[in-house]
Amino acid sequence: MPKKKEKGKKAKRASGISGSEITRRTMLKISAAAGAGTVLAPMVLTSRKSTVLAQGTVPEPTTPLCNQTGAAPVSPATTPFADMMPVPNAAVPKNLNPAPTKVANVAGGEAPRADHQRWDEFPPDVNYRLEARASEFQFHSDLLPSYIWAFNGKYPAETVLNNYGESSLVRFKNSLPDPTNSFGTPQITIHLHNGHTASESDGFAQDFFDTGFFKDNHYANRYAGIDTFGGLGDPREAMHTFWFHDHRAAETANNNYLGLNGMYIAYDPTDPGHEFDTPGSLRLPGIYGKTDIPLILSEKRFCATPSNGRNELFQVVGAGAPAGDKWTVNGKIQPKMHVRRRKYRFRILNTGPAKIFNLKLIGPDGLQKPMTIVAVDANFLHQPTDISATSTPNTLDVFVAMRFDVIIDFSQFPVGSSVYMRENQAQNVTAGGPALPDPAPGLSMVNVLMRFDVIGDAVIPDTPPIPSTLVDLPPIPPAQNNFTWAFQLLAGQPNPFRINGLPFDPNRVDHAVLKGSSEEWHLRNDTLPGNWVHPVHIHFEEGRILERTRRINVGLPNETTINVPLTPYEDASNARRDVYPLPGQESVRLRLAFRDFVGRYLIHCHNMNHEDAFMMVRWDIVETMAQLQETRREIAQRRRELGAPPLYKEEVG
Amino acid sequence: MKRRTFFSGLAIDKPPHEPHIASPGPAVFTNALVRTHENKQVRFYDDLIKGRQVLINLMYATCEGLCPQVTSNLVKVHQALKDRMGKDLFMYSITVKPQEDDPAALKEYADMHRALLPGWTFLTGEPYDIETIRYRLFRMDHIAIDLDLNAHTSWVRIINDATNRWLHVSPLASLNTVLQHISWANPPKSFQEKLEENKRLQKQIDKEVKQYGYRRTV
Repeated sequence: MPKKKEKGKKAKRASGISGSEITRRTMLKISAAAGAGTVLAPMVLTSRKSTVLAQGTVPEPTTPLCNQTGAAPVSPATTPFADMMPVPNAAVPKNLNPAPTKVANVAGGEAPRADHQRWDEFPPDVNYRLEARASEFQFHSDLLPSYIWAFNGKYPAETVLNNYGESSLVRFKNSLPDPTNSFGTPQITIHLHNGHTASESDGFAQDFFDTGFFKDNHYANRYAGIDTFGGLGDPREAMHTFWFHDHRAAETANNNYLGLNGMYIAYDPTDPGHEFDTPGSLRLPGIYGKTDIPLILSEKRFCATPSNGRNELFQVVGAGAPAGDKWTVNGKIQPKMHVRRRKYRFRILNTGPAKIFNLKLIGPDGLQKPMTIVAVDANFLHQPTDISATSTPNTLDVFVAMRFDVIIDFSQFPVGSSVYMRENQAQNVTAGGPALPDPAPGLSMVNVLMRFDVIGDAVIPDTPPIPSTLVDLPPIPPAQNNFTWAFQLLAGQPNPFRINGLPFDPNRVDHAVLKGSSEEWHLRNDTLPGNWVHPVHIHFEEGRILERTRRINVGLPNETTINVPLTPYEDASNARRDVYPLPGQESVRLRLAFRDFVGRYLIHCHNMNHEDAFMMVRWDIVETMAQLQETRREIAQRRRELGAPPLYKEEVG
Repeated sequence: MKRRTFFSGLAIDKPPHEPHIASPGPAVFTNALVRTHENKQVRFYDDLIKGRQVLINLMYATCEGLCPQVTSNLVKVHQALKDRMGKDLFMYSITVKPQEDDPAALKEYADMHRALLPGWTFLTGEPYDIETIRYRLFRMDHIAIDLDLNAHTSWVRIINDATNRWLHVSPLASLNTVLQHISWANPPKSFQEKLEENKRLQKQIDKEVKQYGYRRTV
């Protein structure tokens, strides 16, 4: 029986894991010290290692979970700053058995997929193995561990570090319990947000696979523009801070809430993963785990009454991910981090599932201190920009799936002082108990996301000042075609969350583009002002925002459209984006190019509960003009059948 | 390291995961007495859900707009799966206006839509019970949408109580898509069966890849 075999293998791996991991890690450390330069195991900052249970020792939650049927529970009180903020280790390359192949190894247990595109051009240089499985994680030392789903059992997952020019292959193995008592669905498809990735490795919502199977995602780690620039692609298209997460159609929020996500970083000469003076390097703080730290944010809610020796994550089967009342940073609630008097780079990522973070840096005196944005959504800005007391907005607004790389200079603070990251929305700290004293003047404890303790002068010498110009951006692509995506909330209608009048159907293409072309897309939020902000995410390519407008007095005689000034971190002249927040009645116009790969891709609201409620569309990149015409005819035909308004000019009349 | 080795050592003799699987049962579904369109009284969990794969949607007889389309799409789903209907797959349409829709009204509605079919039951009951079931099965965290009855009417819950799998799909999606979603809650298959299925699927994908360069419809 194959099942038995699999079990035997697992046991073997489990018992042999510590030895082999150690040697590899040590080897990497040595090679890094010798100048290879990019992989450093971040041991120093991790004070408390969470115990990772081996596969097979994690009991399922007891059902029904707390408050399954009533109001959401109030999470237990947690002491602020009781835990050190952990930093996910760098993932360790693995030899894969069976070896990865261009054609899906279906007989060997791989999920069916199209052949890897550009495999012969970019055969994998490095292999990783990330196994989704049940595990336990302690989100705070005052809480008992909670049942989670995580890659290799670790939350957040280990960070996958890459170099441009070296392609990575990540084998995602599904070892989730099936059936499960949790509200997750043990079928996964992993999306690398926002990799320039061929469709078969892009984690299309429908490409999920069952427990017991695996799927190899091939990440070429080449810049967009391979066809036109050759070789590596256009270096101006460099992206650095990615994340991977489950994208299972209609069940994304739950699986992510349970922990199926992690960070993926790609280095290139501008951002080489070290701070030495090498050609082209911007010399930003860049030693992963030491001066270059991921801050992976999430919202969680816990069952107060322990069951099964755990404070389970609150979840209701069938209800989507709940709103949290605790915010976590790299998995910990209100953690602290030791810093030294120098510059640090933080790669801030909001994994949601639904919450928006509005952050400010607050000094020991209670006043707002500047944070310098150097990159947004994985892309360096042309010129860095500050979030400070005088900037507009004066908060760092991190919508779900957005990444902000910010530099904080702790040399402005004396040794022994504490600095705070303030989150606008209050979290539950004392569970209704008496409020705690303010940690800094005017700063309430409930608004503190985390604390930085300045423990001494720099040991690793500080990096030079942040350059006033970081990178040259690629030219804005021309508009060879125009297309509108309208995000709608149709009150009083079935499937209220719609795009262009229809709910998501993975088998229906809603727009087709030609490989090698570029278009101007108009994203429009038709819901009322003050209604949801939809953080819209477009897979595959980075967009350049030309304009943001807002309709006011909608439905009144004086209805009009006004221009909304673009921030320096969304304006096409200074930034490239892949998440576009759309407040009610606002629109953005943006340009996108579609290069190098063909396939089916997604656009969706990245509020994961919204995408699960079908606020998602599929669009395809095709190879030939004939295919484009054929697909567009199909789209028109399908929309006619569904009684939806036409999208293309040729459909009218 | 020592600790990890210790745990790994334990792992060898344990099953892949503790078999602790249980449907939440009446604690979530309720066991309310509901009335079918044939005016029969049944217990919601014990008689309709327990151990079964079911499709549940909300409706009401006077619903206009897209509701009739939803029902007609569900008729197509029934046609496509009629061999399973009433045997290992059941459909339940629950009215969200129980005070208006008595069994006779539901029967008339079903008849009008040619939905008087084996394995498909229309349900009404005490408004409190129906509202409880609606909240437990179709709750949406956004209160405004949660209170919008029409917003629920096209949300099909697919539940396999035996495996405690809960999925959902929009019946406004294509028939193919709805059938796919239903199949993902099908009774569990062996690894070997899934492997054979994957091989068949791969053949289809290969055909599409030849033509378009990517997986397109399957």
